[in-house]
Amino acid sequence: MTLADAQIAPPEPPRYVMFWRRYKRNRAALLGLVLFAVVVLMALSAGFIDPGDPLRRAGAPLTPPFVNWETPLGTDQLGRDVLSGVFYGARISLLIGVVATLVAIVIGVVIGALAGYFGGWVDDVLMRVTEAFQTIPNFVLLLALVAIMGSKIEWITLAIGIVSWTAPARMVRAEFMSLRGREFVDAARNLGVSNTSIIFREILPNALPPIVVYASVIMALSILMESALAFLALGDPNYASWGNMIGQGRAVLRSAPYCAVIPGIAIILTVLSFSLLGEGLNDALNPRQKK
Amino acid sequence: MTSKMKQAGLALAMTGALSSVALTARAEEEVQKGGTAVIHMISEQRILNPGLRASTGVYNITGKIMEPLIDKSYDGYEPVLATEWSGSEDGKTITLKLREGVNWHDGEPFTCDDVAFSAIELWKKLLNYSSALQANLESVDCPDPHTAVFNYSKPMPIELFVAAMPDLGHPVPKHLYEGTDILKNEYNTAPVGTGPFKFVEYQRGQYVLAEKNEDYWREGFPYLDRIVWRFIKDKSAAAAALEAGEVQESGFIGVSMADVDRFSKDDQFDVGTMGYENNVAHSTVEFNHRNPIMADLKVRQAMYHGLDIDYAIQTIMHGFAKPGRGPVPSAGGINYTDDVPTYDYDPELAKKLLDEAGYPVKDDGYRFHLRHRPAPWGEYTQLWAEYYAQAMKEIGIDVEILTNDAPGFLNGVYRDHDFDTANGWHQFRSDPAVSTMVWLRSGQPEGTPWTNQFGWKSDEIDTMIDEAASELDVEKRAAMYHEIQAKAMEELPVFFAIEHPFISVTSKKLHNHHNTPRWNSSSWYDLWIEH
Amino acid sequence: MTLRMPPILTYALRRLVQAIPVVILIMIGTFLLLKLAPGDTVDALVGDMGGADAAFIARLRAEYGLDQPIWVQLWRYMTKLATFDFGWSFVYEQPVSTVLMERLGTTLLLMAASLSIAFTAGIALGAIAARRAYSATDNLISVLGLVFYATPSFFLSLMLMLVFSVKLGWLPVGGIKTIAAFYTGWDHVWDVARHLIMPTAALSLIYLAFYLRLMRASVMEVADLDYVRTARAKGAKEGRLMIHHIMRNALLPVVTLLGLQFSTVLGGSIVVETIFTLPGLGQLAYQSVVQRDMNTLMGIIFLCAIIVVVVNFLTDLLYARLDSRIELA
Repeated sequence: MTLADAQIAPPEPPRYVMFWRRYKRNRAALLGLVLFAVVVLMALSAGFIDPGDPLRRAGAPLTPPFVNWETPLGTDQLGRDVLSGVFYGARISLLIGVVATLVAIVIGVVIGALAGYFGGWVDDVLMRVTEAFQTIPNFVLLLALVAIMGSKIEWITLAIGIVSWTAPARMVRAEFMSLRGREFVDAARNLGVSNTSIIFREILPNALPPIVVYASVIMALSILMESALAFLALGDPNYASWGNMIGQGRAVLRSAPYCAVIPGIAIILTVLSFSLLGEGLNDALNPRQKK
Repeated sequence: MTSKMKQAGLALAMTGALSSVALTARAEEEVQKGGTAVIHMISEQRILNPGLRASTGVYNITGKIMEPLIDKSYDGYEPVLATEWSGSEDGKTITLKLREGVNWHDGEPFTCDDVAFSAIELWKKLLNYSSALQANLESVDCPDPHTAVFNYSKPMPIELFVAAMPDLGHPVPKHLYEGTDILKNEYNTAPVGTGPFKFVEYQRGQYVLAEKNEDYWREGFPYLDRIVWRFIKDKSAAAAALEAGEVQESGFIGVSMADVDRFSKDDQFDVGTMGYENNVAHSTVEFNHRNPIMADLKVRQAMYHGLDIDYAIQTIMHGFAKPGRGPVPSAGGINYTDDVPTYDYDPELAKKLLDEAGYPVKDDGYRFHLRHRPAPWGEYTQLWAEYYAQAMKEIGIDVEILTNDAPGFLNGVYRDHDFDTANGWHQFRSDPAVSTMVWLRSGQPEGTPWTNQFGWKSDEIDTMIDEAASELDVEKRAAMYHEIQAKAMEELPVFFAIEHPFISVTSKKLHNHHNTPRWNSSSWYDLWIEH
Repeated sequence: MTLRMPPILTYALRRLVQAIPVVILIMIGTFLLLKLAPGDTVDALVGDMGGADAAFIARLRAEYGLDQPIWVQLWRYMTKLATFDFGWSFVYEQPVSTVLMERLGTTLLLMAASLSIAFTAGIALGAIAARRAYSATDNLISVLGLVFYATPSFFLSLMLMLVFSVKLGWLPVGGIKTIAAFYTGWDHVWDVARHLIMPTAALSLIYLAFYLRLMRASVMEVADLDYVRTARAKGAKEGRLMIHHIMRNALLPVVTLLGLQFSTVLGGSIVVETIFTLPGLGQLAYQSVVQRDMNTLMGIIFLCAIIVVVVNFLTDLLYARLDSRIELA
């Protein structure tokens, strides 16, 4: 920006202010942000305000909610505190969501960037591999991976990441293909900047916005996939996760519905918050759609 | 049934008397003929040939289509395809009289040729469990079409033979099997038998349909026109199907324990344990004795004291169970004794014992860490695993649960021995010799599921088991099993922690149900439905 | 646009040739992957049977060729597959092709119904939401769509079953038809349709949000383009504008998604099929993994690959039909 421009145009507010202005225009996205903040708070405060280990026997089994203030949301079949489970579950769900998403994005970015940047046979080979992964129904692949590695939470998270990388890879590849011919890339190349630097320093930052938006989708799907695994009794019972809570609560769905319904609502609200967050980010990062 | 009776029945079940609320007097009711009964099956056995696969899941369906030589009733053994049986003095031959005038569903007559072929080609060679039983069978002679003579190289006690027949004595039609690859024979999934119902179709993953055999040898039977077995894997969906009236019977605890409890309070259903006298199970905790901590008897005793069995029975089994007393369950009749050492719930004592054993609480808050493999048999087995982990934490033992699917679990425990503790449930099959003793006897072939693969070995118990197995005097034999039971409760190679029967939920529309000790496997010729 | 036969044929052939290495890659990958899992189909079978003696187990393993080295097993499988022989399912005791064909119909029916409902309802609601962007209607549609999307499928299915089968008694609990009712003709069609209502509803409600969101974004973007503004300036009516100018172009990304989603939905239907005991490929795939039924799982994956290739081909055609700028070549 030259000095002359600055004098003509009114001073532009800082970027984050612009971002926030665009974001808050979407009221649903604001709701998402509030929900997300609540979930994060729950995850952080688990263990501080509510009583200890969510897996220990906290009271008589199947105490309904609002009866005993020791266990305000009731207890499950083994007398485990539902409230405590919801708090710790927030931590586990967020952890699964964030880590699985990181895994997926990292794999996706590397593969997509290589394919999009180099093109040619590299692109061909990597895209064939991507297609192969996309063809296998991802939940079937997830089941196979969990069958192989067992149901430890680390492995489940990794497996969810592994089955989720294809979409970001395709997105990154498309971005790279359109960006690699741009002037600033040519300029960098002429200056003798290495391929690695061009990929990660020059192109990637420009290709990121759609990936950031898509990350919210992967995060949402990761939590849903973990809960589906728990439903099929393939979750990790060493942690209180919402999926595990519903999976077991379903046995008492008719006599003590709150055991499944409370964590169910927690999942719905969390996944909803991710999705709304993604919407807002999309509006804020993609200013083409203004109204 | 009046509500009072039901409550009384329930109370009995709750106190652990395992009484059934299913059996009620309904003598004067008039039989209604015709109609279709729909039965829920939780697991799907894809082979429908009881001569090839010995499994209750197979009998539940094929028991109506193919009949055994001998069945079991509450009054003793009941002739079915065999009408009389006798053994020789030396115990090496057993002679059976076969029922005359019985036809296979395709119209061919049933004769001794079928029995001889089945015994030699299937029961001796191919049928699980039976191949060990019939190992010494040399030949089956047919002096006439309705007499079969079994020749053994070593004495075969007639009692054992007869006791085995209801499960392991289903003949197949020789004319459909001879000269074929028996394992791949098409009739393995489309059975042809002599039973009251004829096989119609098997839709994988959905249902098996059988219809009335008009030509059945019991005159005037069966009552039903059709039976449908529906495969519903999800227990909540099965409960919904029962409530919606789409299914009339669910056996072998086909719905969650919470729903069993709920149905037992519902006027439209009979909930009970009758008809499972042959099928009682133990919920267990198993140890890998290759781990020196697990090999320490004091540790195992402490762990037993750390388990609140009564609490687990009330919460997980909803009262439909009782504390286990070793390898023989109370349903084991004369062979059972409750005069054995027991381990009351006492976490303080548990902690003290662990301290004494040399496992004090360390800096991380635990005495030691265990890797636990739970059997993936669903609901109450999983809850039992989680309760176990919960309870162990209270006494300072950290239990990490390793969840696997069935092949992963069986492999991890029985072949790779990659575990510290495990849990599951294990069925007692009417006699300790043919069921629970494999848990204690050392020297089981490597990799065989549901046998002693725990690395536990006691020469004393091995000898006791072998002596009991060859003892012919019933009283002496029982005394020997009492002794083994007491020894097992003392040495604790395995916790036979909870004894639980199987439970059926049956619509009151069905009549004459659960009236034999292996009812779900029996032929149901007298079952009828209100319609 | 007119489609002449030759380009379409060459195009189809080219896609097919491209697909072959992918399919081979998938098959070998899946085979080796599943071999990494602990235990084999004999373990699963013996587990189902309630145990067996050691000799029985060893004989079964030899019978099924599982005692051979993995490379031998893979080679045997791939050479058979080259002749389109899917082998024998040891779990179902039937040829894999029979097992698959029995299930394919149900799955195709379920997926076609759910995807077309999700697709039509999604684009309709998405278009409405976009035309009234940021209004209360838009927010309501968007959030409601996302709520269904955020609901775990098993949770939604169980709730539907509880309401419509147990409480109201309107719909059957599960299965694909009323067994032993022997309906024929239209009665049979109606019977199957009644059984499919809940599973279809569960699946389509979940996937609705995808189409809804994409359509909304797409319409908003297209509506801003010059030619639409021109048309509007010329006084084109809103309805006509929507259908002739906006929809056609806004549909492009949505159609792409439809092609991509096919195998995702198959995975997603596992849980729904399990709850509603629908005999489809999803449930079969899950069972095959748990039972280590290699041949059946490989058959399903192969079938998936074929279906995905065909569906992608069809979406390309549809794409070309929608966007006159794209030529098939």
